[in-house]
Amino acid sequence: MAAVKAIKSKDKHIQQLAAIVGGGRSILYQKEDLLAYDCDGFTIHKHLPKAVVFPKDTQEVAALVKYCHEHDLPFLARGAGTGLSGGAIPLNEEVIISMVRMKRLLSVDMENRRAVVEPGFVNLKLTNSISDKGYYYAPDPSSQYCCTIGGNVAENAGGAHCLKYGVTTNHILGLEVVMPNGDIIEIGKDGVADEPGYDLLGLITGSEGTLGIVTKIVVRILKNPEAKQTVLAYFDKVSDGSQAVSDIISSGIVPAALEMMDKTAIEGVEAAAFPVGHPKDIDAVLLIEVDGISAGIDEQIDEILKVCRNRNVREVKVAQDEAERGRWWANRKTGFGAMGAISPDYLVQDGVIPRSKLPVVLDRINQISNESGLRIANIFHAGDGNLHPLVLFDARVPGEIEKALEAGSACLKVCADVGGTITGEHGVGIEKREEMRFVFTEEEIAAQTDVREVFNPKNLLNAGKLFPSPGRCVEVKKEMKASVTS
Amino acid sequence: MVTAELLTELKAVLPEVKITTEENQVTLFPHTEEQIAEIVKYCQEQKKTICIIGGGTKSKVGTSNERVDINLSLSEYTGIVEHTVGDMTVTVKAGTRYEELQEYLAQHKQKVALDPSWPRDATIGGVIAANDSGPKRLGYGTARDSVIGLRTVYPNGKVIRSGGRVVKNVAGYDMNKLFIGSMGTLGVLSEITLKLRPLQKCESLILLSFSNGNLDEVRRFAVELLDSMMEPVALELLNPAMAEKLVEQNAYTLAISLEDVETSVTYQEEFIQKLRPKNAELTILRKDQAASFWQRLYTAAPSGCDPDTSNENNAGTVALMKIGVVNLSVLEIARECQLLSDQYSVKAEAHGGLGTGICQVILHGASEDVAQSISRLRVFAAELGGYGIVQYLPESLNGKVDVWGERPSYFRLLEGIKAKMDPSRIMNPKRFIGGI
Repeated sequence: MAAVKAIKSKDKHIQQLAAIVGGGRSILYQKEDLLAYDCDGFTIHKHLPKAVVFPKDTQEVAALVKYCHEHDLPFLARGAGTGLSGGAIPLNEEVIISMVRMKRLLSVDMENRRAVVEPGFVNLKLTNSISDKGYYYAPDPSSQYCCTIGGNVAENAGGAHCLKYGVTTNHILGLEVVMPNGDIIEIGKDGVADEPGYDLLGLITGSEGTLGIVTKIVVRILKNPEAKQTVLAYFDKVSDGSQAVSDIISSGIVPAALEMMDKTAIEGVEAAAFPVGHPKDIDAVLLIEVDGISAGIDEQIDEILKVCRNRNVREVKVAQDEAERGRWWANRKTGFGAMGAISPDYLVQDGVIPRSKLPVVLDRINQISNESGLRIANIFHAGDGNLHPLVLFDARVPGEIEKALEAGSACLKVCADVGGTITGEHGVGIEKREEMRFVFTEEEIAAQTDVREVFNPKNLLNAGKLFPSPGRCVEVKKEMKASVTS
Repeated sequence: MVTAELLTELKAVLPEVKITTEENQVTLFPHTEEQIAEIVKYCQEQKKTICIIGGGTKSKVGTSNERVDINLSLSEYTGIVEHTVGDMTVTVKAGTRYEELQEYLAQHKQKVALDPSWPRDATIGGVIAANDSGPKRLGYGTARDSVIGLRTVYPNGKVIRSGGRVVKNVAGYDMNKLFIGSMGTLGVLSEITLKLRPLQKCESLILLSFSNGNLDEVRRFAVELLDSMMEPVALELLNPAMAEKLVEQNAYTLAISLEDVETSVTYQEEFIQKLRPKNAELTILRKDQAASFWQRLYTAAPSGCDPDTSNENNAGTVALMKIGVVNLSVLEIARECQLLSDQYSVKAEAHGGLGTGICQVILHGASEDVAQSISRLRVFAAELGGYGIVQYLPESLNGKVDVWGERPSYFRLLEGIKAKMDPSRIMNPKRFIGGI
């Protein structure tokens, strides 16, 4: 056994926490080590944690939580840190409980279509582990090559293919959870459905790490579809592209994915690592995928081609092989990062609108771009109305961060005003706390914090996330600006 | 307060609301959400208990001997609030009958992708509050997967929205999930927003009968089908008694439902025909014939509002259980149901999804035997890692059988949620697990 690394800190809590996880190799507490944990994928807001601990199993997580609970130490759980709304940022100098050592695939049961994973297990690894038998795990966030399933559960992560297959919550059958007081509970044991009682499985999924720490996950796995076809369609006018989206959905087809990018987004992806030769002068590209029984696919593809032609498509093509399909998807899935090729900084937003409102919302976002003087690229899961406006800015220019935040918030207001919502898959986190008021009344927010109180009465677990502070709206905005500019 | 006094007071406080009294029980029939809220607010102030009623099909689900002060019937609170065809979402008032909603949506070639029991009588509010589902949940999921937004009248009389009208939404906690399956113990569902699916272009039902009674053969076939790339929307095992009731064939029978474009359905039919074990008999039903089979299955179980099943007679009594196990353990439940009939002289009609793990068991027999069978099945399900709950209990066993079974280890949280949301416990008191 490796020698126990000595703890250089005199802090009693650091020493105790280190003892729980077996010594100095499983804890970080010095400033230079903590810097890497001062934010997640939402990078314009930074705070240092008190310490980062790396438990190896549920028992250690429970002991850490119990210690924090008894000593009133704020704490939170972190996976790969890919979250885009700041859910894993230690606002209150939290002890970060990192789940990355708990990364085993515990079991796979093909016959009953379930698998059990630890929370630190990487999303794509699950599909890779079962693909030789023809199975896969459906939720596919763009960060799936590195994000963890535990984090996916916390955020109720989506992905391009959730149009047909649903988001994370539709694929979670059971959870083992360490409650904020250190108790361990099991919900949906063995993945048995409809366990009697209130649906805690559904409530905890998407609670952004504020109701408990997930330590084991039973997920549903699916059989690969027999056939898959992917179509790329170029439109000279955004309005034609969005009409085509509506027409495809209305024709009775449920595509596996239906993605759209606008002109600015196309400029970004073509300048980045995975260009596929989209024409530079078009206004919109649609990426459409249908899957299912081979015998039924051609019929659906014909229908989609017909719809696109009726909507004045400039060019439409079907992927000739898996390699071509792969290139198209890589181009799309790296779309956010690709903005780095055309702008020093960018802010991702995540509004959702009723599909039929797409043309009007795009016009309004265009106006916001003109008014703010910042370019806004649009990448979206058009089939389910989930927009990702990417506000492009330069943090070195004084005042641009604030302008970008305001433009992002204005985009969410537009989504809320047409009957939509402020986040479809990235979560509220820190970023959209105030925007919660665009969609919920104070009473409706209180109804949610009431539930949190049942689970997390001391509010030591991931405090300050998800909900606006009652009546402190002005101060919070000031604080947000202060921490952004510092 | 005696009924007459309560009636006088209600008439004074709620002059607009229709009120009836029958056998000393007051029932209110609100027409608007405001009226529901007024009623609940009144009950909260006066500490009157409420029983929420939709179509009454589940009036025997989770019943207790608790007498409530007021029945709140949503049967006159009906209609579509908004249907955006292009968005494939619908918002509907809770008292709307499930079948009426589906008939309306069918005009637009759309549907709610749920197949609950008693679709003609059940209301959408009741289906959601009880989280009812049918065999096609294999392909389409359950209420958890379809409900995207709710308006709920809280026990304090305030209307709280959860979710929204978009198909993807992670703003705040997923509060919809709390109400789905909560048996009306947390509030009155008022408006329900659902995501829709296109109506299938073609539907087919394959019945595969295993007359040699060999469940291992059923298992081999099912595993092979599930491991193929076919996409059945239901793969339901009927035990011989259930098959007898539905298709007059006393043998283990698989009901395989296919819904897609016609070329795909035909292709899958051919695939399954090739996969058919030699000893199994295969029948294909299309369109109306398939629909009629499902209709028979959806109405096979006793309903709280059907006088034929609610009256006990000399032939004995009837009870209904829902059992949840790991998917393929449904085969074990089916086997156990056969053993039961020998041991307790009950008739157990059972069906369960081999891709879902959810079974429905109808038990007929003398009330003592039925009670024994319930506890035996519950223990058996628990040994398989599952659970069994009673969804319909005859009068003679009321109070003698625990309908929800043991409390889960995390019961504290369920109790905490109830205490937080309904501290005076006026909503459907003691209707849910552990006396919540």
